[in-house]
Amino acid sequence: MNIHESVGLFFIAAAMVFFLSGTMGLLRFPDIYTRLHALTKADNVGLGLLILGLSLQATDWLTVAKLILIWLLVLLASSTSCHLVARRALQKGIKPWALK
Amino acid sequence: MIYNGVALFLLLTVIAGMVRIIKGPTVADRMMAAQLFGTCGLAILLVLARGMDMPELIDIALAFSLLATLATMTFVRRTWYKGDDDEHS
Amino acid sequence: MGFEMTIIITCFDILLAGTLLWLAWQLLRSANIFKAIIFFISFGLLMSIAWVRMHAPDVALAEAAIGAGLTGPLFLAALRRMERKQRKERRINPPEERNENG
Repeated sequence: MNIHESVGLFFIAAAMVFFLSGTMGLLRFPDIYTRLHALTKADNVGLGLLILGLSLQATDWLTVAKLILIWLLVLLASSTSCHLVARRALQKGIKPWALK
Repeated sequence: MIYNGVALFLLLTVIAGMVRIIKGPTVADRMMAAQLFGTCGLAILLVLARGMDMPELIDIALAFSLLATLATMTFVRRTWYKGDDDEHS
Repeated sequence: MGFEMTIIITCFDILLAGTLLWLAWQLLRSANIFKAIIFFISFGLLMSIAWVRMHAPDVALAEAAIGAGLTGPLFLAALRRMERKQRKERRINPPEERNENG
């Protein structure tokens, strides 16, 4: 096992922590805004670390480019949908948890 | 072997997120759980691409990442209206 | 090494199949239509992973694109139309159509 593979495995293990915390946040947080925060931030950092770990182990550049493209697309998509859902929730008059 | 273990862990995370679909108080919570499924499913596909030695799975992951947001967009634009005296809020 | 690997991937497969069966049962029996649509989208995503496990990446691609990516949003849009129609029929004198953010 060479150094690239070990460092990649380390990053993948770190990604698992972030995925776990994202799901815990979705299950445990009190209202919709905090759940959005947990879901769209923690999960994307986890995915980014996973992609970093996998692209350290990749053999050719095309794979690395595809992986990074996937991450950028997911970042764009999840930030857009998080913004849309939070704005619509505010428009519908759902109060944030801290202001109750 | 490690990659299959990681995929198993991610599948367990997805299954835990299903609790939010069942008891989510608002519709948006249920929709967000579906979004979590999208992200975790993407991660499972990437890990399986390494673990099963099938690099073409990365292309499927690309399709996942493009289509995962479509449902949320449609949900906000079409289902969850602004001034709605709605049954499901 | 090989034996443990088989055990882990078999656990993965069994868990995936059980979850798919449970999801299918839930989406058939749930009375809340929105919940059923969300279950349908999740079912499509997990089903595409199941196709990958069966070494059929082309079917998985079609399942992800059609099953989860296109049919789910179409169902959501249809749900909205259905509810508006039902609400209009319930009222005796339907008010004018609100022009919401189009």
